[in-house]
Amino acid sequence: MADGKGGRPIAASQRPTGGDKAIATGKKQYFRRKKVCRFCVEKIDDINFKDVRLLGNFVSERGKITPRRISGVCTPHQKRLTEAIKQARNIALLPFAARV
Amino acid sequence: MRIYEELFIVRPEITDEELDPFLEQLKNVITQSGGTLDKAEKWGVRKLAYRIAKLSEGQYVLFQFSAKAEAVKELERRLRVSDLVVKYITVRIDEKLKRLEKRRKQREKRAARKPPKAESPSLSAPQMPSEPAAPMPGTPAQAEQK
Repeated sequence: MADGKGGRPIAASQRPTGGDKAIATGKKQYFRRKKVCRFCVEKIDDINFKDVRLLGNFVSERGKITPRRISGVCTPHQKRLTEAIKQARNIALLPFAARV
Repeated sequence: MRIYEELFIVRPEITDEELDPFLEQLKNVITQSGGTLDKAEKWGVRKLAYRIAKLSEGQYVLFQFSAKAEAVKELERRLRVSDLVVKYITVRIDEKLKRLEKRRKQREKRAARKPPKAESPSLSAPQMPSEPAAPMPGTPAQAEQK
């Protein structure tokens, strides 16, 4: 439940073509794998507040919602995800603030 | 008529014998106003993410039903008044279901259309039914995750 770091346990084979393309940024050459939205790749249409196992992937140890820039979730899906997490919090499926 | 989901937390020490009549009452509230109860699930005792009313555990009960707004109002009033229920949430899901249905149809359409177009414009007809079977392994996996 608390493995909220990044939250993209996707197998490399599931990524779309081009997702693996490394991008060189800045003067120093380092490579960053392009992030892809997990909901788009795995074709998860229904982001439901009852699905704690799924939502738990997008919540930090502290219970915070992982920002899009970290998890790589696309805008429409992040919107639904946020809504679902907030509903889950309301009914005590997810914490508002977890004690560390 | 709208479709709703109702999830509520019942005190953990309540036994099924006490709970069932109460659930029956709630069901009557829905059915008497012309609605239907489509699904009633008991999740059993779960740990709560935070303490509610000095409890750290609770039994979750899920209802899925279609009813008018007045019935929902009455249902919520009963949940609020009842001593068994600690907390509840009502979510309207008919628009969401509609959207999901649309997405599913789109996806099926695409799956049925794409393979023959992209890969085998010259192939014979018997090949075609086997082609849409290719994206199928994705769907059961999706169902598991729900």
